[in-house]
Amino acid sequence: MRGTSLVFVRLGIAIAILVLLRLGCSRQQTTEFTPKKIQLAQTWELQPGSAIAGYSVAGGLGDISIVLAGKSVFAPFAGSVQPYQGTCVLFASDEVPAYLFRLCGLKQPQLGDVRQGDVIGSGTYLQFAALRKQPNGTWAFVEPSRNILERTLKQP
Amino acid sequence: MKRNTFQRLDLKSLFKPLLLGGFVVAILGLLLDLHGAVKAKNHGEVCQEIVQSKATLSRAQLAKLLTIPERDPKTKVQSILKAPYCKLPKLEVRAGVKAEREAYPLEFDPQTWLVILYEGDEYAGYQFSFR
Repeated sequence: MRGTSLVFVRLGIAIAILVLLRLGCSRQQTTEFTPKKIQLAQTWELQPGSAIAGYSVAGGLGDISIVLAGKSVFAPFAGSVQPYQGTCVLFASDEVPAYLFRLCGLKQPQLGDVRQGDVIGSGTYLQFAALRKQPNGTWAFVEPSRNILERTLKQP
Repeated sequence: MKRNTFQRLDLKSLFKPLLLGGFVVAILGLLLDLHGAVKAKNHGEVCQEIVQSKATLSRAQLAKLLTIPERDPKTKVQSILKAPYCKLPKLEVRAGVKAEREAYPLEFDPQTWLVILYEGDEYAGYQFSFR
């Protein structure tokens, strides 16, 4: 009788642990990130992620190229990081309406929701572009301020 | 008498794995909760200045705002939305252009704020911020 009770208790505990582990794992597995599609106001034929003569295009129109030398870049605000073309990601924040930031060249970028100052990724070079929403729904490259670049390159 | 001692021993041996199991489950639950909390919590930026502590945005105001295209005059938006709940810290997103942000909790969902961004005298756009 005693032995049977112990078996049931242990079985219950094991099931509880398995259920919790399963819940924990499934939370991460269900997060899928599909590349975000936006329409650019100024379009060039070659974009970051395009290929030319067997080489991949790392940057293009509107990019500020920063020599990162393996260092990290950080979320300038609380927001979310979504995949874009090639090695590029788009950063959007509820706190900064009408703007998107395109970051290219990062290795294994952190996708999903991020807090201000969270590491987004690191790389040899960062190609940074600021995009502003236009009345027709397209996104235009604009010159990013020093402040936005500093927020991205330095952890607060 | 012997039977009582046996029963006490039996209960003790039953409680030990129960306690251990409960402890493990509690720790795992806590870890999972923390995982969720750390990922999901996004309180956003703190207001720099409270303008109108009772300000909220109605559905009608929101519907009107959605008809205004970006780049329209700031005054046009402000005439619809009236005074904001607060102002967020000023920013410079585009080089050389100061941006102002005003926040309005939604009347029908106060945990959601509408953040409006102006650049100079121009309305740049809006975004919902979940608090």
